[in-house]
Amino acid sequence: MTDQAYADALAPGYRMHWYTVERVLGQGGFGITYLARDNNLDQLIALKEYLPVDVAARRPDATVRSRGDGLGERFRWGLDRFIQEARTLARFDHPNIVRVHSVFEFNGTAYMVMRFEEGENFGALLERRGTLPEKDLLRVLLPVLDGLELVHNAGFIHRDIKPDNIHIRTDGTPVLLDFGSARHALGRSRTLTILVAPGYAPFEQYYSNSDSQGPWTDIYGLGATCYRAISGVPPLDAITRSKGILGSTREVLAPARAVGAGRYSGWLLAAVDHALEFAEKDRPQTIADWRRELADEGRTAGVASAASQAPAQPAAPPEAAPAAPHSAGTAASPVAARTGWARARAPIAWAVAGAAAGAVAIAVFLHVETPIRDAEQQLAESKQQLELERQRFDEVRRRDEDKRREDELARKRLEEQQKQDEAKRRQEEQARLAEQQKQEEAKRRLEEQARLTAQQRKDEAKRRLEEQKRSQSIAARSAKPPAAERHAPQVPDAQRKPVPTPQPDAPATRPPPAVLPAAPDPVETPVVVATAKPAGVPAPSLQAEQLAQGEAALGRGDYADALENFRPLAARGNTRAQIRLAEMYASGQGVKRNPNQAYIWYSLAARGGSARAAADRAKMAAQLQPAEIRQADRVVESMRAR
Amino acid sequence: MAIRGHLTSSRRRIAWCITVMAVLAAGCASKEQVRDATHDVNAAFRAEYETILATNGTRVFNVSRAEAYDAVRVAMARLGMIVEAQDPVLGFVNVYAAAPRPLNLEEWRQAADADLPKLREVARPHVGLAAGFIRFEPEGLQIVINATVLEGAAGSEISLTMRMREVAPPPSGFPRREYAPPTAVRMGLSKIWAELEREFKTTYRKP
Repeated sequence: MTDQAYADALAPGYRMHWYTVERVLGQGGFGITYLARDNNLDQLIALKEYLPVDVAARRPDATVRSRGDGLGERFRWGLDRFIQEARTLARFDHPNIVRVHSVFEFNGTAYMVMRFEEGENFGALLERRGTLPEKDLLRVLLPVLDGLELVHNAGFIHRDIKPDNIHIRTDGTPVLLDFGSARHALGRSRTLTILVAPGYAPFEQYYSNSDSQGPWTDIYGLGATCYRAISGVPPLDAITRSKGILGSTREVLAPARAVGAGRYSGWLLAAVDHALEFAEKDRPQTIADWRRELADEGRTAGVASAASQAPAQPAAPPEAAPAAPHSAGTAASPVAARTGWARARAPIAWAVAGAAAGAVAIAVFLHVETPIRDAEQQLAESKQQLELERQRFDEVRRRDEDKRREDELARKRLEEQQKQDEAKRRQEEQARLAEQQKQEEAKRRLEEQARLTAQQRKDEAKRRLEEQKRSQSIAARSAKPPAAERHAPQVPDAQRKPVPTPQPDAPATRPPPAVLPAAPDPVETPVVVATAKPAGVPAPSLQAEQLAQGEAALGRGDYADALENFRPLAARGNTRAQIRLAEMYASGQGVKRNPNQAYIWYSLAARGGSARAAADRAKMAAQLQPAEIRQADRVVESMRAR
Repeated sequence: MAIRGHLTSSRRRIAWCITVMAVLAAGCASKEQVRDATHDVNAAFRAEYETILATNGTRVFNVSRAEAYDAVRVAMARLGMIVEAQDPVLGFVNVYAAAPRPLNLEEWRQAADADLPKLREVARPHVGLAAGFIRFEPEGLQIVINATVLEGAAGSEISLTMRMREVAPPPSGFPRREYAPPTAVRMGLSKIWAELEREFKTTYRKP
C-alpha cells in the first residue's frame, strides 16, 4: 500500500526533531503510525501520531488543528490522554508490552516514539490463516497474559484488546500494542462502535462506566481473541448478545466448546467460554485466576491423557498411537503358525492355520475398520452438528439484526418522544416560572403599596399631631395674659410638653393608635430575603435529581449506576451522596469493601453536619489503625480545603 | 538423587515436628495467655511502627499530584503489589500482596532475625516456653499498604501505612498480629521510597 492511500499522513522524508518519516505503517480512527528513522541512533522506530479524524484535521503546513471551536476542548483532552498513555506505557519494561521510548508535542499534536518490531499483526495473521492450532494460540496467549498482569497490578486497564492490537514478532513472541485510553478519553460523544471493537469489547464497555470495568474487561477481550482464533470469526458483539439474553432464554453466542470441539482441548475451550461470560462478575476476575484455569486444567488434562496412554504405549509418542494395533496384530500370526507337531498333522494344521488366519484377518478387519467407521461417523455427525450450529447461529444473527433494526426504530421513536416531552416540560417550566414571577411581582407591588400606605398614614398622623399642637399652642397663647407671656423664660417645645399643666383638650393630644408602631419592618423583610437569594439556583435541583437517580439505582441493585451518580456529587460536597458512598464502601456493595474509604467519606459527611455519619465514622475508625486514621484525616482536610 | 530425597524427607519430618511442637506448646498456653501475649506484642510493634512512620512514612516530591498518583501505582506494581482499591479524587491507593512482598524471602528472614528475639521476649512472661516456638510465618498473610497523595505547597505529599491481613489461619495455632515486624516495615518503606525515587527520576526528569 502506498502513502497516497493515507490522505492525512505526513509525506515520506518529513522531519521532526531527529526523526525522519519513511512510510505509513497503518492508520486508525485515532491516529497514524509511521515507520520512521531515529537519525541520532540510526535505527528504525515506530512513530504514532495523534490524529482523531473526526475531531481534527491536517493543515497544509502539516500542523493538526481541531475541526471547529466546539471540538477544540475534546481534541485537547484526547491529546492529554494520548501523552498520559505514552507515559504509562513507558513505565512498563516488559517483553510483551510495546516499548515506548519517548513522547513529544509537535505540529499541534503529539507523537509517541516506540520500538519498531519486525513481524506481523496478529489480526492479519488470523485473516491469512483462518484459525490457529492450540499450540500456536497458547504461544501467543500466555506471554500476553504475563504482560497484561503487570499492567493490571498497577491499576491500569488496556480496554482495547483484540487481534489487531497484538503484534507477532518474527521469532513468534507477541507484543501488546495500543492502549485504549486516548480512545476512551473521547468519551460518549463518539459513536460507541468506534470507541470499542465490536465482538471484542464486553457489555460494560458500552455503557462507559469505569467503575464496572476492571481486569475482567481485558479478560473478555482476550477470550474473544482466542474465540476468533478458534472459530475463524469474532464472537457476537455484546449488544447483540445482550438482546439474545434478554429476548430469549438461550445464549446466542455459540460456545467455544461447540465450535472448537475435537480440535482443541476441552479445558482451553472451557477457559475461553469462561472469559466470554456475559456478566462481568461471572468471568475470571484476575489474570492470575484465568491463568490458573489454563495452567492447572492444562496440566491435569495433559497428565490424565499421558496416564491413560501409559499402559498401552509407554514409550511411543501420541502421534504413533494409532499404528499400534496394526503391529500387534501382524506380529501374532507367524508365532501361532510355527509349531513342531504341525508338520505331522499337516492337513489339520493347515485347516487350523487357515481358520486362525481367517479369524485373525476378521479380527484385524473389525479392529481397524470399526474405529475408522466410528470416527468417520463421528466426524460426519460433528460436521452435521456444526452445520446445524452455524445455521442456527446465522438464523439467530439474522433475527438479531431484524430485532436490532426494530430496536433502533423504537429507540428513535423513544428519543423523539423524549424530545417532545422535554420540550413540553420546558414550556411548562417556563410557564410556571412566568407565573411565579408574576405572583412575586404582584406580591412585591402589594407590599410596596402597603409600605407606602403605612408611610402615608404615618405622615398623615404626624401632620395631624403637629396641627393639633399648633392649635393647642395658639389656644394656650390666646388663653394666657400677655404680660405673663412676655416674662416667661424661652423654653423649647419639647421641654415644655411634660409640664403638668391642665390640658383643656386632653384626648386630642394622644397620638392616634396603631399608626406609629405599625410602620416599616414587617413589610420590608421579605423583599430583603428575596434579593439576598443567589441568582444561579438551578444547581441544587440538578444535584437533587442526580441524587434521586443514584438512590433509585441503589434501590434496584444497579450499584455501578449508583456509584456513577454518587461519586461526582460526593466529590462536590453533597453530604447525602458522601454517606451513600461511605455505606457502599463499608458494606462492599458494588465495590470492594474498604473501611479506609468508608471512613474518609463518612468523615466528609460528618463535617457537612451529619450526626449519623459521625456515628458511622466512629464505627469505621474502630477497624483502622491509628496511623491509618491520621492518614485518612489528612485526606479529609485536603478535600475540605479544596 | 537418593540423598536429595532423603534430605527432603528429613526436612519435612523436622518441619512437621516443629509444627506439632508449636501446636502442643500453643495448646499448653491458655487462650487468655496467648491473647495477652499477642496484645503485648502488638503494642510493642505498634509503638515502633508509629516511630518509623513519623520519620519515614511521608515524603514530598516536586511533581504534580496526578504524576505522583500514577507513580505510586506503578512503583507498587513493580514491587509485586496489586492495586485493590483506588480513588483519584481522594488521592487514595490501596495495594496488597502475599507476604513477604514487598520484601523478598531473604529480606523477610533478615527482619525475622532482627525482631524475633524481641517478640519472644515480650511474649515469654505470658506463654512461657511456648514463646520459643513463635516465628514470623509469611504463609497465609498478606501485606496491605495504603498510600495517599495530597497536594501541598512544596509539591505532592505521599504518605504510606502498612498492615498485615490474615487470609488463612496459621498452622501453629497462635493468633496473628496486625502490625508487621518493625524491621520489615522499615525495609518495606525504604524499598517503596527507593522505587518511587527511581520512578520520578526516569519518568519526570526535569530538563
